[in-house]
Amino acid sequence: MKPQPSNAVPPTKGGAFHSARNALNWIDQSTKYLVISAMVLMTTLVVGQVIFRYVFSSAIDWAEEVARLAFVWAMFLAIPHGIRRAVHVGIDALVVRLSQALQEKIFRAMAIISAALMVIIFGFAWQVTLYTWPEMMPTLQLTAAVYYIAILIAAVHSVLHLVLFAWGGRDTWEGMTKS
Amino acid sequence: MTLIVLVTFFVFALLGMPLAFALGLASLGGLLAGGIELSVLPQRMMHSVDSFPLMAIPLFMLAGELMVRGGIMQRLIEFSNAIVGRVHGGLAHVAIVAGMMLAAVSGAAVASASALGSTLVPAMRESYDDGYSSAVVASAANLGAIIPPSNAMIVYALMAGSTVSVGGLFMAGIIPGLLLTVGFMAVASWLSYKKGFKLTGAAFNLRHAFKETGRALPVLVMPVVVIGGIVGGVFTPTEGAGIAVAYAVIVGFFVTRQLKLDDIFPALFDAAIGAAMVGALIAFAAGVTFIFTIDMIPASMASLLQEITENPTVFLVLVMSMLIIVGMFIESNAAYIMLVPLLAPVAETFGIDPLLFGFLFVFNLVIGMMTPPVGVVLFVMSGITRIPMGVLIRNVWPYVALQYGVLTLCVMFPGIVTWLPRVLGY
Repeated sequence: MKPQPSNAVPPTKGGAFHSARNALNWIDQSTKYLVISAMVLMTTLVVGQVIFRYVFSSAIDWAEEVARLAFVWAMFLAIPHGIRRAVHVGIDALVVRLSQALQEKIFRAMAIISAALMVIIFGFAWQVTLYTWPEMMPTLQLTAAVYYIAILIAAVHSVLHLVLFAWGGRDTWEGMTKS
Repeated sequence: MTLIVLVTFFVFALLGMPLAFALGLASLGGLLAGGIELSVLPQRMMHSVDSFPLMAIPLFMLAGELMVRGGIMQRLIEFSNAIVGRVHGGLAHVAIVAGMMLAAVSGAAVASASALGSTLVPAMRESYDDGYSSAVVASAANLGAIIPPSNAMIVYALMAGSTVSVGGLFMAGIIPGLLLTVGFMAVASWLSYKKGFKLTGAAFNLRHAFKETGRALPVLVMPVVVIGGIVGGVFTPTEGAGIAVAYAVIVGFFVTRQLKLDDIFPALFDAAIGAAMVGALIAFAAGVTFIFTIDMIPASMASLLQEITENPTVFLVLVMSMLIIVGMFIESNAAYIMLVPLLAPVAETFGIDPLLFGFLFVFNLVIGMMTPPVGVVLFVMSGITRIPMGVLIRNVWPYVALQYGVLTLCVMFPGIVTWLPRVLGY
């Protein structure tokens, strides 16, 4: 499923599509900084842990847990950005043999089905978030549900990207620089 | 449940849906068929990604991004040029040696392919034809996943559980990696001679070689620090990856002085997205692995395979042949995630050394990154150089054949793989 420009399908994109695309682009820019912050926190803690161990002969007891939390956030929050950049690999050996118009239809259908999957994941992740809420993380006074909040955000953000792909087709981001 | 999982996965995968999402739908189908509470899905997804060892992947990717942006690539090329520039296919040797050294500081073939492809192919096309240039660079890039550190080995070790260590797999890759490097150079020389390409590069000059070695020294020392630290037990592979990031930042800012503050954010973001591709596969496959475990698929596979053969070598050859086919069609990370939990325990019942099995498994799927129709390294190379896939595929086969040759050698003489890690106590 690689979004490549195709000329076979007539453009049906009006002002509403462009507004939606701009809004999503704005959301992308915001979550991009969340991803970057999580990566900075994770890297600093991993390196800091080594320095503390060898230079100060001590360990920060919460460092590993917070680093893992930052890692989980970075990974889940980056998934929707991967959808936009088409980094999530698929097998297109069969699909490329079909006509451009059919490829376009299949691409949009796959986007809708993937979006439905994300909606279901959101629903059940929501349940899990609610019942893990009273649990605390072992080393911090913070609810253990913060892990699942990353899945919730990733699911919503992914649905937005997939729905936009279903609307705009493979050349949805044509003419826009990568996020 | 397993049948529903397989059918769902293959239907959506063949329709071109990203493998991660096809795995997610397959998990969903399997859980529904088995009447299992669906809240298991997000829990499994979280449980599989929330792992300290897995964190090494974004960190090694980040180190790679920072090294490319910090001009480290250029130093490696100039160093290689001073050492091996003046032989038949000189620039090809430069690419292979630079690829080997890049492999020793970064963990991914795909990242190596884009770094080497964008820096070396333009210069090579001036002296050689397109097919030769891109095939050599694609092969050099493939060393990225064989010579430690290697993200592929990290994923394998994670999926195989406690039977193999990342450090042990890293060490297992060194001798086969060097064999491949020498083999690639021999093939490149022979092809260059046969095609009648003219000699490039200046004649070997000892003083120049010393100067370039000195300039490249901070980069050449890096694998000693990172891999040495991991093997010596100074730090874990994840911490080693963190040290690699710190090292790349220091070298980029203070030694090459080409890294800019503006490079840091894009490097962090690109590394996160690259790692999230692997993370998404692991997360979505977690439900599938869970269903396979409930259906006791590993145990039934073991008894099925034991009925076919009791000979470990025949079993190994069967698995290797299957992986060659899998490698042609399925992205390698997806293959580790789906197949390692099934096959690694079976290999153990056959009494095969887990390190040997692990390395051969990884090596086979890494070769698969260069085999059509689904060869990520070829896709990246073709994307960067604009050389058509067809040209690339026609030229890459001698190098692919060589890799399968080395793989066969490793199956026949396991010492090539296991000697070094055993000497080091793994």
